[in-house]
Amino acid sequence: MSASSNDANAENGEMLIDATPIPLLRSIQAHGRVWEDLAAQYGVTNPDPPWKITLEATCDLLAGDSCVKPYDQVEPGSCALPSLERRAEEDELSATLYEDVPFPERQLLALAHSMIARGLLDEAELASRMEVVGQRFNSA
Amino acid sequence: MSDHHDHDHDHGHKPAPMVDEVSHFEILEMAVRELAIEKGLFTAEDHRTWVEYVHTLGPTPAARLVAKAWLDPEYKKLCEADGVEASKAVGVNWVTSPPTQFGTPSDYCNLRVLVDTPTVKHVVVCSLCSCYPRPILGQSPEWYRTPNYRRRLVRWPRQVLTEFGLQLPSEVTIRVADSNQKTRYIVMPGRPEGTEGWTEDQLTEIVTRDCLIGVAVPKPGITTNVKLPVRKAIHPVHHDH
Repeated sequence: MSASSNDANAENGEMLIDATPIPLLRSIQAHGRVWEDLAAQYGVTNPDPPWKITLEATCDLLAGDSCVKPYDQVEPGSCALPSLERRAEEDELSATLYEDVPFPERQLLALAHSMIARGLLDEAELASRMEVVGQRFNSA
Repeated sequence: MSDHHDHDHDHGHKPAPMVDEVSHFEILEMAVRELAIEKGLFTAEDHRTWVEYVHTLGPTPAARLVAKAWLDPEYKKLCEADGVEASKAVGVNWVTSPPTQFGTPSDYCNLRVLVDTPTVKHVVVCSLCSCYPRPILGQSPEWYRTPNYRRRLVRWPRQVLTEFGLQLPSEVTIRVADSNQKTRYIVMPGRPEGTEGWTEDQLTEIVTRDCLIGVAVPKPGITTNVKLPVRKAIHPVHHDH
């Protein structure tokens, strides 16, 4: 996808990303507890979940130097997920599929959606890894 | 000698509350990260280094830059002429500080300091995505990322600033600076009345993040940012005009 086709699609009102619901992410959306609820319940004043910065770092590293170059100068394949594409897709998904999810949870869902849509992650593989991570978190 | 801490005395404080629950989102974040590392999209070491760097960032260096400039006319001239060079005085080197060391002083590191005057107010946006001068201002607030702010500020800046509680006289011109991958901005607001004789530290405290983005102006006694509800853009953008 080039910057020009990206802009053209946006002007035609077309989606830039396949917004077909992804069952795993829909399930997290439906059952996951968001930080603003957890913070209120436990009386925590930090406005951001502890994983927000690690999420930002993941986004930054996937973007490589695309975050500091004009989009038309980003070499194809030079990074896993150009920042402008990720942000445009996040905007779209935030206004549609993940509209009811607060920030930064919707940023996370949008990132996972973009990665699955691109084949960078496989939905079943991600579900399986979540099982493992969840067991690890809850084993202590 | 005892090898444990003596708890006979009262510490006089309670531990800060913690969220004693792991959410699906926390698990998802870690799973995405682990898989990305295993697939070679980035390394665990790069991730750790970047997280450590981001943890060091915040709005204080930019606030101090403004405070210094208020006190030192020569430094103010440097800020206007060369924001990158001026940043060094507040501990930010745009070339060498980020672990990635992306860019050169002529491209990514093109920080511009927009100096307000009694008749010109600057305000910063990234209409395309959410470019933000993170090395000197930290992480962007949520509202800065929203299409609502990004689309509306460039069309109706006076209205949007009013929503932040900043009502400007009609004779004040508002200039919106649109950030991009190469050029980032901070605003240097005017020094408010009532701060005569203040130290650099005192002045730094009232230059909030919102002042540096341009949606607020500094006032003695105000050291926090506005809390805004985040709203969707209810009128989608049409490209037929």
